[in-house]
Amino acid sequence: MIKSTSKRFGKVLYILYPGDYYATRENCVLGTVTGSCVAVCLYDSTRRIGGMGHFIVPGALGTEEIYRDQIASHGITSMEYIIGEIVKLGGDRKYLRAKIFGASYLQDDESRIHGVSLATMRFMHEYFTIEKIPVEVDDLGGNARRKLYFIPTTGRVFRKVLRHNEESSEFIRLEREYIEHTFERRGTYGKVILFE
Amino acid sequence: MKYIMIVDDSPTIRTSVEYTIKDEGYAIEQAENGADALEKIENLRERGDEIALCIVDINMPVMDGITFVKEFRTMDRFTPILILTTESEEDKIKAGKEAGASGWIVKPFRPEGLVEVLKKLIG
Repeated sequence: MIKSTSKRFGKVLYILYPGDYYATRENCVLGTVTGSCVAVCLYDSTRRIGGMGHFIVPGALGTEEIYRDQIASHGITSMEYIIGEIVKLGGDRKYLRAKIFGASYLQDDESRIHGVSLATMRFMHEYFTIEKIPVEVDDLGGNARRKLYFIPTTGRVFRKVLRHNEESSEFIRLEREYIEHTFERRGTYGKVILFE
Repeated sequence: MKYIMIVDDSPTIRTSVEYTIKDEGYAIEQAENGADALEKIENLRERGDEIALCIVDINMPVMDGITFVKEFRTMDRFTPILILTTESEEDKIKAGKEAGASGWIVKPFRPEGLVEVLKKLIG
C-alpha cells in the first residue's frame, strides 16, 4: 500500500495492491484496481469506520460448505484480517455493510483463473450469508478490470470499468505475482505455540 | 457434561472450529465475544457442567480476547485457554501468555494441528 493525495477527491489517497488490507476512521480515499482478485469494501456508517481488502481465494472449492474447505480457509483468513482491523478501531461486524468488486476472467491460464474467479465469487456469497453481513453492491465477474475509489467513512464507492490494460499495467504485474505467491503458500498454515 | 467454549465474533470461524473438534468427545458452546463467553460459562457452571477448554479469538467487540483471559483467570487458574487469531506479533503473543493463555494458534489453522493441540491440553 502506498499513501498519496487525490486531487479529484481532495483527500489523502491510500492505494491498495493485491494482498493488501487497510481499515481507518480517517476521512480519506482507498483506491485499487481489481482483475481476477476481489476488492471487499466494508463500512460501518454509524461509527464512520471502513476498510478495504484485496485478495483471492487460491484455487477451486470443493462441494462442501466453506467452513469445511481448506482452500476457503485462506479466504476466511483474508476476511478476518480486514474485519479484525475494523474491530480494533471500535467497529462491530454486526453493523457492517459490504460492497464487493472484481473476480473477473482475465488471465492467459484460462482454466486455473476461471476456477479461481468462480471460487472467489462463490466464497464471497457464502461468506457474507453466514456472517449475515448485507452486500449492498455485488459487482463480480465479467471480463474487465475495475478501478475503484472507496470512501471508508461513508461507504461510497466510485467505479470505472477499464477497457485497456495499459491503464493498469502495474496492477496487472503485481496481481500476477500475488496470485503466484498465494498459490505457492496455500498449503501453509499459521504457527502453533504452546506456553509452559 | 464437559464443554469446550468457542469464543469468536465470526460465525464462520465458530462453525469451522466446531466442525473440526466435534468428534473429540466434548459438548460445545459458542460465544461471540469475551463478555458473552463469561456469562455462558457462569450459566454452565451453575447447572453443574464443566469447562474443559476455551478457544478464543483476540479481536472482538465488547470484550476482546486478552481481557477475557484476564477476567477468566480471576476465577479459574487452571482451565486451558487457547488463543486462535490472525495476530502473530511477538508483543501480542507475550501479552497473551502473561494474561494466562495456554497456547496460541495463528489463522489459518490446520484442522489436524488444532486437534493435536486440543489433545495435548486436555487429552
